Amino acid sequence: MTTDDSENVVRFENVGLRYGLGPEVLQDVTFSLPAGSFHFLVGDSGAGKSSLLKLIYLALKPSRGLISLFGRDIATTPRRELPAMRRRVGVVFQEFRLLNHLSAFDNVALPLRVAGVRKSDIQKHVVELLSWVGLKDHLDARPPTLSGGQQQRVSIARAVISRPKLLLADEPTGNVDDRMAMRLLHLFEELNKLGTTVIIATHNSHLVEKMGFPKMHLDEGWLEIVGADTDRASVPPASEPGPGGGLLDDGDDDGTRPDLEKLF
Amino acid sequence: MFTRRSDLPLDKDAHSRFLPWLIAFMVFLAIMAMAGMLVLNATASRWDQGIRGTLTVQVMPAEDPAKDDARLQAVLSVLAQTPEIDSYETLTDDKLLKLLEPWLGPASGSRDLPLPRLVDVELKTGADLDAEVLSRRLAVRVPGASVDDHRIWLKRLVRLIQTVEGLATMVLAFIALATVGTVVFTTRTGLDIHREAIEVLHLIGAQDSYVAGQFASRAFSLGLKGGFFGLLLAVPTLLGIGYLAQQMDSSLLPDVTLGLVHWSVLAGLPLVVSLIAMVTARMTVMKTLSRML
Repeated sequence: MTTDDSENVVRFENVGLRYGLGPEVLQDVTFSLPAGSFHFLVGDSGAGKSSLLKLIYLALKPSRGLISLFGRDIATTPRRELPAMRRRVGVVFQEFRLLNHLSAFDNVALPLRVAGVRKSDIQKHVVELLSWVGLKDHLDARPPTLSGGQQQRVSIARAVISRPKLLLADEPTGNVDDRMAMRLLHLFEELNKLGTTVIIATHNSHLVEKMGFPKMHLDEGWLEIVGADTDRASVPPASEPGPGGGLLDDGDDDGTRPDLEKLF
Repeated sequence: MFTRRSDLPLDKDAHSRFLPWLIAFMVFLAIMAMAGMLVLNATASRWDQGIRGTLTVQVMPAEDPAKDDARLQAVLSVLAQTPEIDSYETLTDDKLLKLLEPWLGPASGSRDLPLPRLVDVELKTGADLDAEVLSRRLAVRVPGASVDDHRIWLKRLVRLIQTVEGLATMVLAFIALATVGTVVFTTRTGLDIHREAIEVLHLIGAQDSYVAGQFASRAFSLGLKGGFFGLLLAVPTLLGIGYLAQQMDSSLLPDVTLGLVHWSVLAGLPLVVSLIAMVTARMTVMKTLSRML
């Protein structure tokens, strides 16, 4: 492991991905994301954003190249050690992927239960987080009875409940109104300030421009990082507001900003 | 707040509802086969002990009944001179008539019947007596005397019983295989149905054993449920068979009663089948999930 590897949460080197015998959907993707960075992943539909995220959250194997997560080469990491790595990654899936037979509470509790956290601790954290995302009255509701926006919030709560080291979100604000979108982005930003590395895939260019974080731009399988000081994304200092600080402070600090120290 | 113990809705699966029934029938068949095997095993070992070193000498009645005693004494003197023989005993008329009762009924009580005289012979331990030679020696001295070597036909009977026991073991093995096959099929179907949920669990960091544990405990509880139902069916059936056998002429049938140890073994079968189901489900899930990244 190099010094770089220990600092980087994610590192891709000449990664290519193809499905079956089809063309490469990702080509020679090379980048590294230092711990505590915040990036937007942008690109047209079909550019490969979801595929790139799937590679990072270990749902897919690359066709070629090297992927390193938390300083460990995925290809050489024993399979039995991958679940522990996955627990350090929170994922907000584009299609939510909630378990329909479980209540909102149980869905959010799932990562903690899988990790063997005590029931009493789970209870406290899950109720607080669901309250914060506005679903206090829907703790026992099954996902099919929730609106798209509510499901999305459950999905986000499930992704962040274990306070992951890396948070990946695929269109996390696609189904919520602007106010809730800002509220959720506050949550991501606060997590980021606490040290979580964040990647948000989105089509919302307006939001991306306002927040001002570096962009990972995917175009027909090729990746380019825009807006970072160097070829590696810069890390907004945890003690200072991030590039989106102005926006977040813009008269909207009326309870939408989560106090994560209390939440977790 | 926690509404479920399992993260997968396995109890809602329609395909697994038939599993307890199937296991109930399997356990029922297994108990019947096992009970048969235990009874046969006890009978075979009883017979096997009984035939070791025994034979019967038969002296046919002479035309002149007054000569019967002399003929018997001649036979006994030949037996006494045979070194391989440990002891011998002439069967009394009463014993003889009792042996004939199953075939002749009350008529066997008639003293007018010309009955052969029978001598029970016990050989010395490990003695290798040639029954043919003894038979020839007796026939020379007493025409009409013959040797009935129990060892020959009882050995055949024991061999037959052992063959039936082997078949019962095979039936048990087939039942176990059928149980394994059914559980594998049910588990694979469950894995297919819940693929999406399993993938989510996998991606949020669940170990394979976490998912496998849910399938395994479900298979165990279904197996136990079905197993006890099978046991409930089998117990009255076995008691019924035992009762019928007692009502029949017991001298023609082996003893079909089961001891406490036998009942304990049979009562443990549902648990054994449930454990087989549990281990099978766990192994099936672990094998399937190992193909995932």
